[in-house]
This record gives sequence, C-alpha cells and structure tokens, in this order.
Amino acid sequence: MPTILYPTRGGRSSYPNQERVFALARERQADLLLLYVTNVEFLGLVARAKVVDLEEQLDNMGEFLLAMAQERAEQAGVRAETLVRRGEFRQVLGEVVAEYAVDTVVLGAPSEKTGLTTLDFMRTLCAELSAETGVPFLLVQDGEIVETFIPSPPEQADD
Amino acid sequence: MTPSRVLTILTLWILALALWGAQTPPVRAADPQDFAYTLGGQVSDPQGQPIEGAHIALYPGKDTQPLAETESLSDGTWQISLSEIPLGELRLHISRPHYQEQDISIHSALVQEWRSSGSYVMEGITLKRRVTAGFWAATVVFLGVLLLIAFEKLHSTTAALTGASLIFLVSYFGSAWISPNLYIIDFERALEYINWEVILLVMAMMIMIAIIEDTGIFQWLAFQAYRFSRGRAWLLALILMALTAVASALLDNFTTMLLMTPISLQIGVALGINPLALIIPEVLASNVGGISTLVGTPTNILIGAYADIGFTDFLNYETGGVLMALTVMGAFVLYHYRDEWHKAGNTLSPALYKRLQENARIADPQALAKALTVFTLVMVGFVVGEHVGAPPAVPALIGASALLIWLKPDVHHMIKAVDWTTLVFFMALFIVVGAVQEVGLISLIAVTMSKAVGTNLPLATFAVLFGTGTLSVFIANIPLAASMLPIVEFLTGSIPGANSKVLYYALSMGAAMGGNGTLIGGEANLVTAGITAQTDSPITFREFIKIGLPVTYLTLFVGYLWLLIRF
Repeated sequence: MPTILYPTRGGRSSYPNQERVFALARERQADLLLLYVTNVEFLGLVARAKVVDLEEQLDNMGEFLLAMAQERAEQAGVRAETLVRRGEFRQVLGEVVAEYAVDTVVLGAPSEKTGLTTLDFMRTLCAELSAETGVPFLLVQDGEIVETFIPSPPEQADD
Repeated sequence: MTPSRVLTILTLWILALALWGAQTPPVRAADPQDFAYTLGGQVSDPQGQPIEGAHIALYPGKDTQPLAETESLSDGTWQISLSEIPLGELRLHISRPHYQEQDISIHSALVQEWRSSGSYVMEGITLKRRVTAGFWAATVVFLGVLLLIAFEKLHSTTAALTGASLIFLVSYFGSAWISPNLYIIDFERALEYINWEVILLVMAMMIMIAIIEDTGIFQWLAFQAYRFSRGRAWLLALILMALTAVASALLDNFTTMLLMTPISLQIGVALGINPLALIIPEVLASNVGGISTLVGTPTNILIGAYADIGFTDFLNYETGGVLMALTVMGAFVLYHYRDEWHKAGNTLSPALYKRLQENARIADPQALAKALTVFTLVMVGFVVGEHVGAPPAVPALIGASALLIWLKPDVHHMIKAVDWTTLVFFMALFIVVGAVQEVGLISLIAVTMSKAVGTNLPLATFAVLFGTGTLSVFIANIPLAASMLPIVEFLTGSIPGANSKVLYYALSMGAAMGGNGTLIGGEANLVTAGITAQTDSPITFREFIKIGLPVTYLTLFVGYLWLLIRF
C-alpha cells in the first residue's frame, strides 16, 4: 500500500488541508503517515538558559495534535499512523522519507492570513526537497492543491 | 568548550574573586582613644548625597607630606585622629575620582579651638562633579550594552560581560597608557557593586523551581481548569490567567509560561477555539502577576535588595494594584476575544480526553508534596526573616538545600538547572551600572529628572511608572531596572514624602507591566511565541501588539491609580 507523508501542526486552520490529504489518501488507497516536528532552537533567542525539559512537553503536545488528526483521518476512512520527531524540519523530513519508504509528501502551506511563511517559500522548499529525496511533493493551501513537484528522473548514463 | 561551560567558569572566577575581595582584611583603623585629637566631617555631592571613598588628607600649611589621611564612609562621614597638632595653619585636601579636588585651609584660630577642645567637627564639604574622559567612555559602554541587548546583536550576557571588560580595560590600561582621565572604576570598587543577595536569592529560587517544575503541577492545574470550565472558554481563559498570575508571583513567569503554553495549546485546540485566546492572556497575566511578590520577577528581586523592600512589603503595597490590573486586563481580554468564546465546544473523544489527561498528570506526587511543603516554609521564612534581619536569600538557600537533601535529585541536573547565564548577566550588569554611577552619569540623569518633576511626588510617580513602562516595551526590563534604581534612590531622597518608597513600587510595576507592550518586551513573551510557532496558531508581532499595547497602558493607568490611593 502506498504511503503519503503529511507533516502537520494540527489545529483548526489545518483542517481544510487535512481534508484534502484525506481525500487524496482515499483516492490513492494510501496509508497516511502524520508527522509532527518539534524544534526548540527558538530558546536561543532568550537570555535565559533552558531550565524546563521543553522537548518532552512539545513531544506530548505533538502527540496530542497528531492524535486529533489521526482520529479525523479514521473518521474519513483513512488509516493513519503518527510520528513525532525532534530537529530541524527540512532535515527530519528527508530522514523520514527515506526511513519509511514514502511515496508522496504533502506539505500544507498555512493560510496567507495566519502563516509565518509565504507560499513562495513553501514552493521553493517543495522543489528542493523533491529533488533531494526523489519523491513527488504536493503543495496544498486552503484545501486546494497549489502545485505538484515531480522530481526529474536521474540522467541515464550514455552507453 | 561549550558556551555554558565558559559561562560557568567565568561565574566561578567572579565568585572566587569576590570572595577573595570580601576576605581581604581591612586596614585596621586606629582606635580614636589612642589619640588626643580628632577632626571629622562629612563629604557630599551638590545634591546632598553622601560621597563614599573620598580621600581626605591633612597637611601642615603648604607642606606636601600629610599628617594623616583617611577615606569617607558610606554615609560620607570621615574622621582624622592625631596624637598632637602642629602649630600654625593646616590644610585639608579632599579628592575622589570624578569629582573636583578641593583644598580647605584650617586657620590658626580654628586649629587653636581644635587643640583646646580635643575634637572638632568641620562644616560639610561639598565636592562638585567633574566630567572626565572616563565619564564619556563609561557612558558609551553603558549605552552600547543597552543597545546590543535591545537589538539582540549579542546575547545579553555576552553584551554585559563585554561591557564590564571594556570598563576595566579603559580603567586600567587606558588610564595608564593614554590618559589618567580615562579612569572609570577600580576592580575592588566594581565588585562592591555586585549585589550578592540578588545572585544567591535568584540561584536558590532556580533550584527550587527546577524541582517543582518536574512534578507536573502546572499542567495538572491547567487540565483541572479545563475540566472545571466545562467548555466555557471565557471562564477557562480567566481561570488560566489567574493561575499563571499566581504561579508567576510565587515562581517566575518565564518558567510558568514554558510549562503552561504546551498544555494550554492542547486545551485550546481541544475546545476548537484559537488557542491564542487562552495563551496570550496567560502571558499578559504572568508578566503582571509577578509584581506582587519579592520573588515574582527578577526586577522585584533587584528592587527589594537595593531598597530593602521585603516580601511582605511587596505583598502589602502592590497586591491590590495587581488585582485591579488583572481585573481590567480580564475584562479587556474577554472583549478582545469575544468571537472566540462562541466557537468553543467539547468535541474531544474519550481517547483524546484520556491522552490530554495523561499529558497533564502529576509526574511525582510524593516529590510534589515535599516540594510544596518546603516551598511554603520558604515563603513563611521570607516573612519571619524580616523580623530577625535575615535577607530573603537566607530562607531561599535553606529551602533549596533542604529540597536537595530531602528529595535527593540528580545534583548535576540541578546545577544545570541553575541559570548561570542569568547570574553572570546580573553580575556583569551590576559592574556596568556601577561604572556609570561612579562617573556621575546616573546622578546627572537623576538631577535632570528631579528638575523636571520638582518636589511633586504624584508627578514623579507618574514619570517613573509610565517612563519605565514605556521603555520596558522595547528594552529588557532587568538592565532598565538596574539602571533606574540609583535614579529612583536619588528622587526618593530629594522629594518630600517619597521615603514611603512609592517610587520603587512604581519602578517595579512599570518594568513588569511594560513587558506586555510587544513580543520583545519580555522573555516569557518570546518563549511563548516560540512554542506557538510549532503549531498552526503562531503568535505574530502584530497579533501580540494588538492586545499587548492597550493592556500595557490600561494596567499602567490602573497601577498609577492604585499607587495614588495606597500612598
């Protein structure tokens, strides 16, 4: 069965993109792998040293948000597994794609109103990651597929 | 070598040097009874503030060899003792770095009077300030440190340490090789500006907080609030605000928000509302809640140690204002997020509810019981300690040690939990602020401010409260409060009625309330934003300012009303 990897941050504003991914999984009869990546690098912004084991707190939060998404997926008739990883998003994504033999990756762009990133940034990210991992990437925003990124086939060596 | 290890080593060096300095035996002052004649007086600046460390030498006429020498004490008084007084005129030479030197002739008639009475007290001596190259060097370093911190060009600890190093570089090498006028402050004098009471109290509180935070009490309380509110998001927001305010008053708001934000995010998502409607009010409440106790904010610890304001004083004089501010803040929050409250619904499945409950469980009930017992005793110790003259650092250190013995946590983990970065920051900052005090910058600002407000105490209170509050919106409140303290001390000494310490309370309120103005106003704001950035509900600068700025000025206004009523 093919596997679609969908990194999500959970929450209400992710719902339209989640619905689109569920529909895609049904169409392709694929399993979903829901990924949440935590990163505490932002603590470097503050003068105070890290006192609390924040990573564990964030892991718990990620597991909860993914459990909500998993429940919604199952209600939509899609089988979903969850995975919480720590680290830099781009690097973690590459690792998970390789580790779980992922067939397609769907990245949800946040709505223009609420997001911290821009659609252009997400496009560039998808294109680069698709080329790096050799896996197709779909970019969705507000429940619609914005663009599909198909990696170029490796060049054949001349005989 | 990791940066934290470097900082730890630096801290240990500074601690060792400070202890060495503290243990250097003072030169034994001659017992006045050994001498037949004593001459005394007091040295002060043009504003009447006593000058400590002024060098006073007594010369016979125009002779260059002094008969006796001494230094003025912290209250500006001095005394010279002689076994016999030579005939003729005498001359008193008074000098101190950053002040104009002065020669005072003691005419024969006065010398005769002194000789016949055995002791003589001279009229007060006023030394005028002298703006030297050292003044400008210290001012540039001080402003540089503030700017580096404000614009986050350097880590605040690195900025303060660099500032302190530059002060010493200019004082020793600059004054020796370039011009003596570059002298700012010597090493021993700089160490005197480090407030060890603050350092030890902060350190002890960090150990206790590290133990309490591991128990899961914050998460459990947040979950109980969720259960109690039964899906009424507006009620939940108010309860969470109250919880974070109380937790921030007893522990600190930075840790409180680190622990409360992840669980609040989950609760917000579970309720189907924008989690920021719960989290932003929590941050705002945490910044204000800490005002009501000595240990609630680092600035209160600074103010308490500097102005001898105790635990009960903060409770007595600020809690009412904090409650008023929280009430107004609560009303504003309910209005601001009014659309969110209708969206709330209890949509969690039993499985998700169980998971949420699991994330909010108390990790170690036994440890929690012990930690709360000791913590309560420490709070009692703060109150009782005031009656026996024990500074707050004493019960805090006893409590931290008791917890370490009773709970036997991993000591290495506990030592790591001590935020050495902040402690080193405090020490270096004390030195930099001490340097600008030495050269007279702080008194110059204080005199200017004093001229502006005159003897009008309500106006001075307004200026300190709103001035500090507005500056705290952009500048980290710890360096701001540390710089403001000598200014407030000066105003307290010069404005009638200010000895009630109302200006210190205004400083405490302004520094904390101002932190709500923008996302960069406080570290709790920044970490909360960092955590929310891991979800689809990130706190943006604009989102925060829309609620933070009005709340800042509303609470400052309420705080001002409270101070007018209370004092």
